[in-house]
Amino acid sequence: MDILENDVLEIGGQKFRSRFMIGTGRYPNPYIQQEAIKASESEILTFAIRRVNLEDPEEDAILQHLEGMSFTYLPNTSGAKNAEEAIRIARLAKASGISNWIKIEISVNEKTLLPDPVETLKATEVLANEGFVVLPYTSDDPVLCKRLEEAGAAAVMPGGAPIGTGLGILNPYHLQLIVEEANVPIIVDAGLGSASDVAQAMELGASGVLMNTPVAKAKDPVKMARAMKLAIDAGRLSYLAGRIPKKKYATASSVLEHISK
Amino acid sequence: MREESETNMQLTVNGKQIELELQTVQELVQHYGLKEAHVVAEVNGEIIDRAIWEDHQLEPGAKIELVHFVGGG
Repeated sequence: MDILENDVLEIGGQKFRSRFMIGTGRYPNPYIQQEAIKASESEILTFAIRRVNLEDPEEDAILQHLEGMSFTYLPNTSGAKNAEEAIRIARLAKASGISNWIKIEISVNEKTLLPDPVETLKATEVLANEGFVVLPYTSDDPVLCKRLEEAGAAAVMPGGAPIGTGLGILNPYHLQLIVEEANVPIIVDAGLGSASDVAQAMELGASGVLMNTPVAKAKDPVKMARAMKLAIDAGRLSYLAGRIPKKKYATASSVLEHISK
Repeated sequence: MREESETNMQLTVNGKQIELELQTVQELVQHYGLKEAHVVAEVNGEIIDRAIWEDHQLEPGAKIELVHFVGGG
């Protein structure tokens, strides 16, 4: 979209045209995943780090499906239950040589997978000091988001709702406050379900969104990836354009003078 | 007398105990037929840089983790 041509997202000194970070888990098959990624026009892909299955080493080796395409890789620390485990995973990811970006994801509660704020803050501090480009997935608490920024996060990623729920933005008021206070990009990560959620996130001033499940588990992941991309653009434009204030009563949009009777 | 290097070595790889006749991280990665560029190796809690896999001698009883990227959000 031409009107957004110069609207660039900058994270960790890198510039992006796309404001869509897309996950690589749970697609029906690698082909659909690849087509969905293309339709999303994402430039940043997320991954997890796991043990190689030594019985079937190529199983799940995600990078083999993406050869020849150029992305910024955002590995996550999923599976980590505390800062120490997240830091270890981050260092393993960096040792791959493909990225020094890390999405900190530390969950203890299996039912909600909500991030542990204390451990997330600790890990952010340590990894930012080690030179990682740190993007913590965090609860949508304005004070915590500010603390993460101060700890060196390159972008802060509050969840709209728990991972994979598709409940949308449960606390738009908080998200708006987080955006207002932030000096780094705010990326809404987790909980979004459809294009309208995405547009809302962007209209509230988010710099971007990170999604996986709502695309991968849609009936048609490729179409949904496109829908999300368009919603990001629409929401972003709407935010930049500045919406009208809400009012209780009507204002005529047609002039009231010279009505022919 | 058999040389030490030719005897099998007890290792724990990704949580599984195995016995293999090899000496270096490089040989271990090759043993499993892994694409080197995509794998990260940790030996006894220490990440071993790919550049020194060939020189890194494994000790009997070493705990090795071989990890890679998989799909995730």
